[in-house]
Amino acid sequence: MGRFKNNKKGRVNVKPIAKNNQANVDHVTGDKIPKSFVFSRTKLPGSVKQLQMDLRKLMLPYTALSLKEKKRNTLRDFLNVSGPMGVTHFLMLKKTASALSLRVARTPQGPTLTFKIHQYSLASDIAQSQTRPRCPPDLFKNPPLIVLSGFGTQELHLKLATIMFQNIFPAIDINTVKLSTCQRLVLLNYNKDTKLIDFRHYSIRLQPVGVSRKLRNFVQTHKAPDLRNLQDVSDFITKAGYGSESEGDEEAATVTLSSDLGRVNKGSTKSAVKLQEIGPRMTMQLVRVEEGLCSGGIIFSEDGNVDGKNKQDGDEEDDAAGEEESEEGEEGSEEDMDEDAED
Amino acid sequence: MAKKKEKVVDSGLDTIKSTVHHHSEFFDTLVELIPARFYLPDETERKWFPGLSKAQKARAKRKTTENLKKARRDRLDPEKSALTTLDLLKQKIEKEKKKLSNVVAEDDDDDDDDESEEETDGRKAKSDSVTYEELRQRLHRKIDELKGGRGGSERPRSHEKRKKIVPNKRKREKTVEEEEDKAKLDVEEAAKDLTYGYVKIDDDEEHGKGSKKRRLSKSRELERALKLEAAKKDPEKGEVIAKKHSWQAATSRAAGIKVHDDPKLLKQSIHKEKKRQEKNAEKWKERVEGQQKVRVEKQQKRSGNIAERIEQNKQRKIAKREKKLMRPGFEGRKEGVINDGK
Repeated sequence: MGRFKNNKKGRVNVKPIAKNNQANVDHVTGDKIPKSFVFSRTKLPGSVKQLQMDLRKLMLPYTALSLKEKKRNTLRDFLNVSGPMGVTHFLMLKKTASALSLRVARTPQGPTLTFKIHQYSLASDIAQSQTRPRCPPDLFKNPPLIVLSGFGTQELHLKLATIMFQNIFPAIDINTVKLSTCQRLVLLNYNKDTKLIDFRHYSIRLQPVGVSRKLRNFVQTHKAPDLRNLQDVSDFITKAGYGSESEGDEEAATVTLSSDLGRVNKGSTKSAVKLQEIGPRMTMQLVRVEEGLCSGGIIFSEDGNVDGKNKQDGDEEDDAAGEEESEEGEEGSEEDMDEDAED
Repeated sequence: MAKKKEKVVDSGLDTIKSTVHHHSEFFDTLVELIPARFYLPDETERKWFPGLSKAQKARAKRKTTENLKKARRDRLDPEKSALTTLDLLKQKIEKEKKKLSNVVAEDDDDDDDDESEEETDGRKAKSDSVTYEELRQRLHRKIDELKGGRGGSERPRSHEKRKKIVPNKRKREKTVEEEEDKAKLDVEEAAKDLTYGYVKIDDDEEHGKGSKKRRLSKSRELERALKLEAAKKDPEKGEVIAKKHSWQAATSRAAGIKVHDDPKLLKQSIHKEKKRQEKNAEKWKERVEGQQKVRVEKQQKRSGNIAERIEQNKQRKIAKREKKLMRPGFEGRKEGVINDGK
């Protein structure tokens, strides 16, 4: 009688490593906090793997950052694990020969939205293209805010998309929210003509307005200023600094803070909201909406017939021929355009 | 002869005056260098802090800190004139003079003297302030010269440099304004079509999450689901109903509301619930039985113990009684005489 090894043939191994026991229910609002899994069922090439990692960081803190999936894991396994862990959304990346697609689905039996990613840039590319990339230490400790623009309320699939995205991130309670927790922003912009959705991810920064740049810099970084060309210290303070080009544009982007934020931005004074891009950038198109979790009837389909049955994936992929996948090499133009205009 | 003598005397007077003026200037500059609080005696009355009550001490402290702050601001305020030591000294002298004049009010000579002295003081003050400004400008000019001297060529001085850049700034501002207007228009247009993430306000709730009291039992839901399915199969309006329902269901599911519309799943869950109930009933029965059994056992044991104890007590009593008759040679009770049996 030999020793029997633990025969795991029949059994399935899903190892989501949840690092911290997070509350399922928000202490403040009493609602269920939406949590998500970002994974892929197929093997991904290097840059797409990085995109997956960027998406995971984006969804922090309510996601499994180091989720490990094995080849044997099927969707069923993820579903079984998601129940007890309180995971509500799945974000699945899939790379086939013709296209890269992102599926956003709601667990138990929720609808699945399939987006085809036409172009994407990684977070590291964006950071390299900026002169001063910014990543404060607690940037990913709080969930991001979300802004959707251009979706409208008429078309059903767009309405469904807005509701879906609005529910991926937890709601904010204005009575108890602290300004310091709103540090990131996800922006989705729908372009009616091309039917493409732009996905952007920014970090929010508040700067006091009406203060010359010299003073602002001096207060924030306590470096002694250069007084070589000035006759008197009063000149340093009263001289109207050459305002940066972006200062004039942002008359619309000034807000009056309700409370103090940090040492510099005092409450009930004007502050300018500055957005600096971090995180991945994607251009995607909503191609399919299915009733179930990657199953069920298709209720909306772009470039195809709206069919009651679920066709094979292969056929649909062929329909969407003619759209190329793009790598970061083609992102050069986009990166140059959106450089932060700080001087 | 007298003229010459006068001239000599006049020139002598002039030289004396100029020398005196020089000396006084020198001393004035020296006095300027000393901060006022060291040179002039302090005339404010010091409050006797140890003798005050707590509240008074707090008030005095606050007052002093406020005064300090105010003094600091005044010192650094460019609009308020900085009183140099010399000016303070002059003020003090004037004050004293005024006091004296008030005391000896009717004396004309003293008044005249005072006036003349005040005039000279005033003139002196003006001349002194002028000299200070002059000195400052001279200093800056010298610094620039030194700077220029070092560089050699005609490098633009600091103030000249500033003049050059200002026209550029004006041009920049104009273009910035144009862009600003355009940006405002775009912002207005875009702002009409923005949707944000959910913000929780106390009164209203999202979608239809609040209506929990209308929760139907599962059997009812099953009936409803079956009805819906039947309606979908209906030839006339089936398609429309199916589409509408699927969109509605998808929207509410995306929002987190649970939609029960699949009869198969509902049947499964009803079945599961039934099984669960049965199992629970079984468990309860077993528990009750077990409890009863335990109770019965305990009671039996108890009654057994009680009976035993009674028995033992009886036997003990008998033993005690018999102990008295355990004399040596005689064991037990009398059992009659030997020749009794007739």
